Order: sequence, then C-alpha cells, then structure tokens
Amino acid sequence: MSGRRVRAITRRLLQGFRRDRRTVALLFVAPIVILGLLGYLMRGSTSAPAVGIANQDSGPLGAIVADTLRHSTRISTSDISATDGDAKLRDGSLVAYILFPSNFSQQAQSGSVAPEVHLEGSQPGEDSPVIQALQQSMISLASQVAGRSIRFEPSVKYLYGGASYDTLDYFGAAFVGLIVFFLVFVITIVSFLNERSQGTLERLMASPLRRGEIVLGYMLGFTVLALVQAAEVLVFALAVLRIQNHGNVFLIFGMEALMAIAAVNLGIFLSMFARSEFQAVQFIPLVIVPQVLLSGIIFPVSTEPTALQYVSDVLPLTYAVNGMRDIMVKGADLSWSALQLDAAVVAGFCILLIAAGTTTLRRRLG
Amino acid sequence: MSDAFAVNVEDVSKSFGAFKALNGVTLRVRQGEIYGLLGPNGAGKTTIIRLVCGLLEAHAGTVTVLGRRMPNVGVLRHIGYMTQQAALYPAISVEENVRFFAAINGAEEGVREALELVQLYDRRGSVVSTLSGGMRQRCSLACALVHRPELLLLDEPTVGIDPQLRVQFWDYFRRMAAQGTTLIVSSHVMDEADRCQRLGLIQYGRLLAEGSPADIRSQGGSQNLEEAFLALAGRKES
Repeated sequence: MSGRRVRAITRRLLQGFRRDRRTVALLFVAPIVILGLLGYLMRGSTSAPAVGIANQDSGPLGAIVADTLRHSTRISTSDISATDGDAKLRDGSLVAYILFPSNFSQQAQSGSVAPEVHLEGSQPGEDSPVIQALQQSMISLASQVAGRSIRFEPSVKYLYGGASYDTLDYFGAAFVGLIVFFLVFVITIVSFLNERSQGTLERLMASPLRRGEIVLGYMLGFTVLALVQAAEVLVFALAVLRIQNHGNVFLIFGMEALMAIAAVNLGIFLSMFARSEFQAVQFIPLVIVPQVLLSGIIFPVSTEPTALQYVSDVLPLTYAVNGMRDIMVKGADLSWSALQLDAAVVAGFCILLIAAGTTTLRRRLG
Repeated sequence: MSDAFAVNVEDVSKSFGAFKALNGVTLRVRQGEIYGLLGPNGAGKTTIIRLVCGLLEAHAGTVTVLGRRMPNVGVLRHIGYMTQQAALYPAISVEENVRFFAAINGAEEGVREALELVQLYDRRGSVVSTLSGGMRQRCSLACALVHRPELLLLDEPTVGIDPQLRVQFWDYFRRMAAQGTTLIVSSHVMDEADRCQRLGLIQYGRLLAEGSPADIRSQGGSQNLEEAFLALAGRKES
C-alpha cells in the first residue's frame, strides 16, 4: 500500500471533476433543490380539506354541530344542499361532505347519532381529518343533551375506492405509468447518446435519412419495447399485487403507451444536451425527481403550496398521473372531460417533444 | 452530368468559432480517380470531407458534388462515407450492420457482395463488439460501400491497421476506381500517397499543392514525397 499511489488516484478523480462544471454544479445544487422542494411541499401544504355540510335536521341540534364544524381548523367547510354533494365530490371541489339527516335531533335524544359522511375516497388519508373534526364537534352536542352519553356512529360512504381501498391502490395507479416512463426515458437517452459517441449518428447524417425518420424510427423501436414492459407491469399490478382497478384495462394501456412515447422523445431531446453517459444520467435528478415530487404522485397537487401548484400544472406527468388514477380508481372512460384533458395534454406534450427532438437533431453536427 | 468533376470545391472557407479550419481551399476531383488528401493532423482534411458529404456548410465558397451544390440531401444516396473511427453498432452482427446501412440507402441487394469484398462473409454472424480492430475497419468499409456509391469518402481508412490489411484495402480501392467510383482518401501517411492518382497537400487549412505524386515531387524538388511535402510546407511558411 503506497500513499502516493492512492493519492494519485484521488487527485486524478478530483481533477476530472474540476473540468466538468456541470457535474460539480449538480453535486452541490441538486440536493439543495430536492430537499428544499420536499421541505416546502411538506411544511407549506397547510390547506385543510374542503368539506361540505348539508344540514337537513328538522330539530335544532344539526345546526349546532354544523356551527362547531365551521370553526374547526382541521377542515374548511361550506354549506351545500344534499343533492349537490356527489356532483361536488366528482368535480373535485370537495373531498367530503357531511349530511345531518332530518331526524338528527331525535337520534341525539335517543342516545345514538348517525350523520352521513360521504367521502371522495380516491386519496387515502384524507378521510381521517374529516372524521376527527366531526367527532370533536360532537362534544358540543353533549352539552345540549345533558346527562346522557351519545354514541357516535357515522355512516361512511365512499364515492370511489371504498373501505378496502389502501395506499397501494392509490400509489399503484400512478406507479404503473411512472415505472414505464422512467425506465424508457433512461434507456432512450443512453442509447441515443451512444449513437452520437460511437460515431454512427454522423454516418446517419451523411446518408439520405431525414431527421424526422431517425426520430420516428427510434420512437417506434422503443415504444415496442415500452409496450411489452407496460403490459408486463400492468398484469403484475393487477393480477399479483391486486391493485384495485375500476377502469378499462385497454384504456390504462393506452395511457401507458402515451407516457412511453413521451419518455422516448424526452430522452432523444435531452440526449442532445449530454456529452457523456455520465451527464445523461444526471438528468434523472434534474428532470425526473422534481416531476415525481410535484406531479401529485405522493402529495396531491391540491394540497401543495399555491406557488408549486402552478409548477405542477405545467408538468406533463401531473396529467398522466391524474389520468391513470381517474381510470383505475374512479373508473373513468373517454367520455369524462377530465380524462380527455389529461390524455390531450400528454399527447400534446409528445408532439411538442417530437418536434423539439427533430429540430435539435441538426443535420450539421459541427 | 454537366460537371466533368465529381467533386468541385471552390474557394471554400470554414471556421469553428475563432479557429479557421479552411481558408480559401480550391480542389477538383475527377470522376473515377483516387484523390489523396494529405496533411498533418488538424490540417483540415476531415473538414473538407465533411463539407463534401454535407455534414458542414461552408462559410464562403461553394462545394459541388456530382453536379449538385452541397448540402443536398438528394446527392447523399450516391455518397459513401467511412468515418475516421469505425462507426458501427457494437451490439449487432457484421451482417446486421451492413444490412442496416444498405437499408437506409435503399440498396439491400448489395449486402453479400460488400461482405465478400471485405472478406467478412464467413464472419457475417459475429457480433461487432467481439471483432478485432482490423475486422471492424473492414466492416466499416463494407457499410460505406454497400450501396455502390458513385463517390466514396474515406477518412483515414488505414489508420491503425496492419500492413497486410492496408495492401488489401488499396486493392479494393483500385478495383472500385476501375469500375468508375470516385474515391477521396485522407491520410497523413506519405507512403500511401504514392498509391493515389492525384494528391492535394493541405496544411493550416490551405491547399499547398495539387497534382500527381510525380508533380508533387518535382514541385517540392525531391524524389522523396515526404521531403517534397516538407519543402512545400516550409516554402509556404516563409
């Protein structure tokens, strides 16, 4: 063991980094960006879930409980009519609504209340603040009906999902698409970079091939691979992991295919800005990680700080993830305007990337 | 063809940033001849070749290839280009590589002949990454000529190959020229220059001299081509 030889290796390594400013920047900037984003996401999201209150109680007690709920810090309430409730859950303006039945006061007198809690249900964990807030507000009821303990037996109904719906169902729907997107992106960017570094791209450019033909050929080749992978992921998710699915399997597959095409073209486009495989891999923390954090996969976009919501709204992955969840969790089909929007945005992004990739692939390489 | 020359480079200049790679170069290559581009590394040989196949555009002057002004996509079908490094797809076989370059030029019928010409027909199933450097160079040549181009551009085709293979390569080149193919071969090895019909000597982005090996010898005042070249280069500098 010679200290001088070890030092030679260490020095050579650091010398290499000194000239690769991009890698150094990434090494020191990326962790701050990612951690900062994560912190802002988790601390900054204070918005309480939007809950509707429909009071049909003919007696006085429903109004008293409703008033306590309005002052709860856990939820932000609004008064709705019972008939609007499901529509508001569906369009996303409410995550839940609470309905006090017409005999609510009588129920209280007889010692057991059963308010109805209607939950949107597609996001696990959003139901607990609603139930907790309701439970707390029941304390105000006890002072009204002196001397009796009142049992609290809410009847909980789910618009989507259901009691057996768990975290994996929520994340699974998004991850089925994300896995394909991520892997296809990595494979494309590295193999397109190889095309440059091994000199074959120069040969292709000196041939009658048009730029569009190269991009399209690449896209088809990787899309074939991606579709096989997408099919495998889907079968595994549904048959082995038994992730809940209320939608059409072919629709899920179609959405996965769109994401794969977007990933291929993103890979081709970004490979133009990488000089080595090393630099290509750096696009993962730069491009993929912020998208994963901000596309609503982990933290619902509606609970993000407002500034980040604007960012989320322009990320294609946000729409892809939303579309996948709409299909699998809510059973959406193409007649849903929400799904039409999601599919259109992802498809539009594909077209934009194809154009960008083709333009960047200059005939003149010099 | 309206032009008697297969390649006509007229007063061409090309810069990369502040670096002037070519400075008013004029050279003409006749159809069916083997034209040698000679000069030290960094003289501008590759730049000329890349201008001729349309990968670069001249800042000043014109490049005409097979009667068409470059860059021109239509002409590319008739050009074969062998890059300096053996640019091949390492993960697929020799035949798959050659077939690919044949297909993008719309000439798949020439695959077998090209493989036989470079004597790789027996090794056609071998994956390129397992081949020796010389075999890769041969495979690369097969890819460049599989579509029977009228103009073959060879950027230092014999760098790093053994003398035996070099003799073989020049044998192929002469056979192709005899069939009417025009060849431009760049090299910095002087003993290869003698095998060309005409030479262009390049240094610092300028054409120092042009002519047959015999012309160059008399211009440089030496029977040795290398000495003649050095004499011409020195004269230009002073």
